[in-house]
Amino acid sequence: MLAEGLNGLLGHTALIVGFAASLFGALALIAAIRLGNARLIKTVMPYGWLALGGAVMAVVVMERGLITRDWQLAYVQRVGSRDTPALFNFTALWSALEGSILLWLLLLAVYTAIIMHRYRARLADPLVGWALVVMFFVTAFFFFLALGPTDAFRAGVTPDFTACCKGPNPLLQNHVLVLFHPPILYLGYVGFTVPFAFAIAALVTGRVGEGWLVETRRWALFAWGFLTVGIVLGGWWSYEVLGWGGVWGWDPVENASFLPWLTGTAYIHSVMVQERRGMLRVWNLSLLVATFSLTILGTFLTRSGVVNSVHAFSDSTIGPFLLGAFGVVVLVSLGLIAWRGDRLRSPGAIDSPISREGAFLANNVLLALFAFVILLGTVFPLIVEAKDNRKIAVGSPFFDTMSQPIGLVLLFLMAVAPALPWRKASGELLRDRLFWPAWCGAGTLALSVFLGATDLAPLLAFTFAGFAGGAAIRQLVLATRRQGYRGLLGRTNGGMVVHLGVIIIAVALAASNSYTRSAEFTMMKGETVSFAGHTFKVLDVLDFTTPRTVGIKAEISIDGGQAYAPAISKYTAFGMDVPTPSVKTSLVQDIYLTLENGSKPSTGEAKIKVFIKPMVVWLWIGGTLCAFGTLLAAFPGKNRRRPTDAVSAPIPLDEVASV
Amino acid sequence: MSDVEAVEVASGRRPVAPFIALAVALVLGSLFWVLATSKSGPTDTLGLVDSPLIGKPAPAVRGTTADGATFELSRRKGSWVVVNFFNSRCVPCKAEHPALVAFEQQQTTLGADGAELYAIDQPPDSPAEIMAFFAERGGNWPVVLDDDGLFNVAFGVAQVPETFIIDPDGIVRMRWAGAIDSVTLALLVQQQRDIYGLQ
Amino acid sequence: MSAASSVKRWPGWVLLAFVVAGCLAYGVTRDAGARTPEERVEEISKQLACPICNGETVYESRNTASASIRAEIKNQVSTTDASDDAIIAYVVQQFGAKTQLLPRASGFESLVWVIPGVALVCAGVGLFFSFRKWRTNVDTVPDAADRARVEAAMAAEDSGES
Repeated sequence: MLAEGLNGLLGHTALIVGFAASLFGALALIAAIRLGNARLIKTVMPYGWLALGGAVMAVVVMERGLITRDWQLAYVQRVGSRDTPALFNFTALWSALEGSILLWLLLLAVYTAIIMHRYRARLADPLVGWALVVMFFVTAFFFFLALGPTDAFRAGVTPDFTACCKGPNPLLQNHVLVLFHPPILYLGYVGFTVPFAFAIAALVTGRVGEGWLVETRRWALFAWGFLTVGIVLGGWWSYEVLGWGGVWGWDPVENASFLPWLTGTAYIHSVMVQERRGMLRVWNLSLLVATFSLTILGTFLTRSGVVNSVHAFSDSTIGPFLLGAFGVVVLVSLGLIAWRGDRLRSPGAIDSPISREGAFLANNVLLALFAFVILLGTVFPLIVEAKDNRKIAVGSPFFDTMSQPIGLVLLFLMAVAPALPWRKASGELLRDRLFWPAWCGAGTLALSVFLGATDLAPLLAFTFAGFAGGAAIRQLVLATRRQGYRGLLGRTNGGMVVHLGVIIIAVALAASNSYTRSAEFTMMKGETVSFAGHTFKVLDVLDFTTPRTVGIKAEISIDGGQAYAPAISKYTAFGMDVPTPSVKTSLVQDIYLTLENGSKPSTGEAKIKVFIKPMVVWLWIGGTLCAFGTLLAAFPGKNRRRPTDAVSAPIPLDEVASV
Repeated sequence: MSDVEAVEVASGRRPVAPFIALAVALVLGSLFWVLATSKSGPTDTLGLVDSPLIGKPAPAVRGTTADGATFELSRRKGSWVVVNFFNSRCVPCKAEHPALVAFEQQQTTLGADGAELYAIDQPPDSPAEIMAFFAERGGNWPVVLDDDGLFNVAFGVAQVPETFIIDPDGIVRMRWAGAIDSVTLALLVQQQRDIYGLQ
Repeated sequence: MSAASSVKRWPGWVLLAFVVAGCLAYGVTRDAGARTPEERVEEISKQLACPICNGETVYESRNTASASIRAEIKNQVSTTDASDDAIIAYVVQQFGAKTQLLPRASGFESLVWVIPGVALVCAGVGLFFSFRKWRTNVDTVPDAADRARVEAAMAAEDSGES
């Protein structure tokens, strides 16, 4: 019994130590900055390491509890079971609210420690100091959440094994992606704390220089890359597990991950305008604040039960605290911006809307609008309920309608912007630079029409995608011609690789959403049907049992080839049916088979649903390309921040005169 | 800081940040208020609920009962009808069942004035499961199988149990969501009967 | 001017415009082929929210209520000639507004359509005025001395590199 009580005790101790350490670290650092006391600054580092130790310890203890099946812990009773396989027992840590806060906490403590270690020689610099103070405070807040509202180490009542201890939700224990999607997504979410902390520090210290940008640009990129990969993996998971053949459903939780992605994307574009031209400082600060507060708001929306979502965890008391945190973050940031904003504004001006910075500005306006529309749609049912006390829903048809035009214009901007020079472009220059990219677009359009594509929206998407792809490839070709393989490195060129990834994803989404064919068949064993140019033969319909499930699977041969076996498994402990689709993947199209309820192995009757979805595999290829491009962009490229660089050549004197 | 102010003066700028910040704060403040006051969790109302069917003729849906007979609601005109939607696997339905048994017995004492009770079974129950359910819990009223969900959609029933009261003219009078107890059900039927009698 | 760049002047672009317009016109107007009944059921059920689950569509959800609604849609698609919108309106009438995923364009709900439009217009107007102000307010025009300094720096760098 002692060993079991130990886990709870150790976990609580670790959290208390971590909470105290991050709070003391923050206070000591504030005192040190205010007093300019170098000795005090030396005491900060141990606090940071202690906080990290507390977070690591808490996670290790919880994993220990899960692995040793410590039924003393209420959380283990909730997400653990005697027969969960080792992998899903490990990932059970983040399969419910309390444990997912622990994971968040761990990542946050790691980021804080890395920042502290990296800038250990510069802690006395108020900018770095204040940034670390912010990180300490955020860490302390999450330690507090883990201690109070979402206490993962709460002792449970004596377990009644007939009712409890069923293991994690069936959807979280039947695919290996559960190991990757949540931690990677969280690395993205939590990573945006770093640039946010530097933004707040810049506001507090009033340091208007571009210094803090250089510090945080790579952190923002890093977080953005993880968020992107996390979102793509989430789509993949949905495709492989949910059995409706889709990757994105505009569910509130999905929106909550997409919102910071949009503002983060806006930031990594507009920050270049600030670096180049010293402009948009306040806007960039606001984008970082928005990104961070949207991660908090998203966590609130999905963890407090105010919106209904399949992803939402059950009700808890965490809601008011997260909402309070959102309020404090917004209030403090807005107060700081109101106080400092005018001082931070730069005296520069954007000379012409037809310029690189003009395109970045347009891109930012669109991305911000996109984020606003999605936030509005997500919370609109709550607004209606608050006003009229009636329930309505806002769902995928709304978001699809809204995102289509915005997405098309963004694609168009992706095509034009890389060809635009800074400051000012002439018509002749654009005619010259955009000629071949535009023909790429026309070629893509002609090819897709030749292959049978219809409808305006997807055709426009293909045209603009070809155009944008041509522009990105043109930039990469020019850069590699000039610099060899190094032409792929650095922000601009790595960014073009990311663009290619995003373009591929856009094309794959447009194609798979617009041209999916589907049909449902009830067939007997041995029967063959043909649909959309393929034949499907039911070879067998079988019952199967595993320790946790009973299920039915059908073996279906596609075009006389190898057998694919879609299944439905009933997780006996939950009484919940989980479909397992079976997919024949190729570069051109996926053939996605699901088995429907009502199939009877006893009579050899199989009810199957067939989806023919074009180009789905390109979603994952595009996602990989995004990750790869982000890596390339993080490498230092050729140093382009020189005033003498050709792209920011001075405007000819006669033009200046005409201004 | 004087150089910054000098630039501001030189370019003739007025402070705008506080105003923009205030405007954003107002918008976010109202969002905050909406979020803070919103109820968490599903808040489906139970008890007497509205339905587009109330005051209108009951849908003319046809089905088959568990013992194979054809059931048609419009044929039941002339007497009060109580339609109960249930499923043998749903926990509140199991809890509600004794109340329905009591209600049915109480109504038979009224003779011709008594309401007829019908149950609509939500899929995917099999006739055998329904037999077992009634054998264990008592009660003996017709159960209509709704394998295609026709009754569900016609009455707008998403979640069982639900109970509808239909008058002798075949007009839907009342809808009750969630489990009901026998006294309430009998009272509601009596109340409707009185209103009907006044017309 | 080389031959390539003269192609990039008007002839190339005019040809491009014709190709794009022609392909678009052909692609948009041609018949996509009849939808299977299943595809119609699918499209309709994607427009409806499951009345009792958490944010799933009738199309995605696997519970009884959604199965009933899918069966009803299938029934109406195969036995009546009701339009997609009529079928959606019927289900929404039966199960309440919480099943309608596409908000109405009337009443208070229309705000969810109007506000994004207003935001777009505001953003456009804001940008327009910013650019106008920036244009009349360029306060950092380099003078001859600045240009000379830049020339000198560039010359120094060129000689340093070579």
